[in-house]
Amino acid sequence: MGDSQYSFSLTTFSPSGKLVQIEHALTAVGSGQTSLGIKAANGVVIATEKKLPSILVDETSVQKIQALTPNIGVVYSGMGPDFRVLVRKSRKQAQQYYRLYKEHIPVTQLVRETAAVMQEFTQSGGVRPFGVSLLIAGYDDNGPQLYQVDPSGSYFSWKASAMGKNVSNAKTFLEKRYTEDMELDDAIHTAILTLKEGYEGQISSNNIEIGILRADREFKVLSPAEIKDFLEEVE
Amino acid sequence: MTGSMDLPAKGGFSFDLCRRNNMLEKNGLKLPGFRKTGTTIVGLVFQDGVVLGADTRATEGPIVADKNCEKIHFMAPNIYCCGAGTAADTEAVTDMVSSQLQLHRYATGRESRVVTALTLLKSHLFRYQGHVSAALVLGGVDCTGPHLHTVYPHGSTDTLPFATMGSGSLAAMSVFESKYKEGLTREEGIQLVSDAICAGIFNDLGSGSNVDVCVITKGKTEYLRNHQLPNPRTYASSKGYSFTKGQTEVLSTKITPLKQKVEVTEGGDAMEE
Repeated sequence: MGDSQYSFSLTTFSPSGKLVQIEHALTAVGSGQTSLGIKAANGVVIATEKKLPSILVDETSVQKIQALTPNIGVVYSGMGPDFRVLVRKSRKQAQQYYRLYKEHIPVTQLVRETAAVMQEFTQSGGVRPFGVSLLIAGYDDNGPQLYQVDPSGSYFSWKASAMGKNVSNAKTFLEKRYTEDMELDDAIHTAILTLKEGYEGQISSNNIEIGILRADREFKVLSPAEIKDFLEEVE
Repeated sequence: MTGSMDLPAKGGFSFDLCRRNNMLEKNGLKLPGFRKTGTTIVGLVFQDGVVLGADTRATEGPIVADKNCEKIHFMAPNIYCCGAGTAADTEAVTDMVSSQLQLHRYATGRESRVVTALTLLKSHLFRYQGHVSAALVLGGVDCTGPHLHTVYPHGSTDTLPFATMGSGSLAAMSVFESKYKEGLTREEGIQLVSDAICAGIFNDLGSGSNVDVCVITKGKTEYLRNHQLPNPRTYASSKGYSFTKGQTEVLSTKITPLKQKVEVTEGGDAMEE
């Protein structure tokens, strides 16, 4: 990574043993728009705010939630362009895994490979860490799963998690409302309510994005019409 | 092979062995011939889309290696590809392009187009100058309509309303040339494809066994694996065979008793468990 003039890493240790660049990356994540994910008994839901910088922006062109494979989806908090790069790399890795093993990549493997990419950028010459945290939702033979991957490359499996601006309130809200045997539709309602908690302004089907994985294991980004139905149920 | 051999130059044809080959040929050595691909694969365009067909025999010279292999490969939900030639080459190249098409679908958010698959295939084959021995019939339906193409191992392509490839292509083409017309219905298309493949199966040694058919229309693909089984195997009778005494004529009998080599002594301890 990087040519010979930049073969030294820009991410270096501080005397206290911290990697300051990663701390700053986490700050960048913390100032990004709130996103969250909930693992239900029969599926996973991920959601995010979609606040656009101006009313003139065509909201149909913005897609914050992306599919990595037919049964794995991802959402982020932080820098959009960094997210795009990671999505592209992860999709390619999933395809390479399939070409090599003729097996669809398990969720844990894809999380691991994505985390490895993010870690590379904390220890290579001339590059900076990614300014995003990812929430990867997948449904494979090990059931529904939800993973968070941080700029450092560390990953955690969650039952429910949130990232971004409103993370502490959102997590408290989720802690109160989460139950082990939650159904997916309950989880979607909880996700919407959690987003609503920290939302500045009026929540609508055009300024949030929701992605779900049901037992059919097909990752789907809900259309504004479908989000509207769920919003009405929550009201 | 001597130890002091230089590394071959990257790219381009190496002419090092040409002189040796010419000398050997002059001295009477018969050069290995090119094996004609043992397959019949066909495709045609009908009123609602495309129909692809293939036989199911895989050959290794004069031996049938697989009596029921799959020659119609998945490229995209709306695009399928029949492959003739070296089985490994057709499998590898269709898998590779199928993977590339999937990535492209994720990046664009759209259904794959047949010309995209076509261009990916032909660029790859051209780059390998015919050494990837894959002759393909590519068909599918996308937003611009139904398409049918043939791809040759060197990387050239044709766009046709009906096409055949493989060693049985002449037999199949004769059927198409006499019976194809524009605006066939689905049933007529499937029947014509089956007839063409059967012509290849029965008249070409390199093709045989069953008929696979794939029908692609807008929004729907039907893969009819083993649509026809015109060569059922007759297995041994399940009742078994009976050979009564006296059916086989005995010419002479010689009985040799084996010498007693083992002494059995009674008593002693039983073997440890």
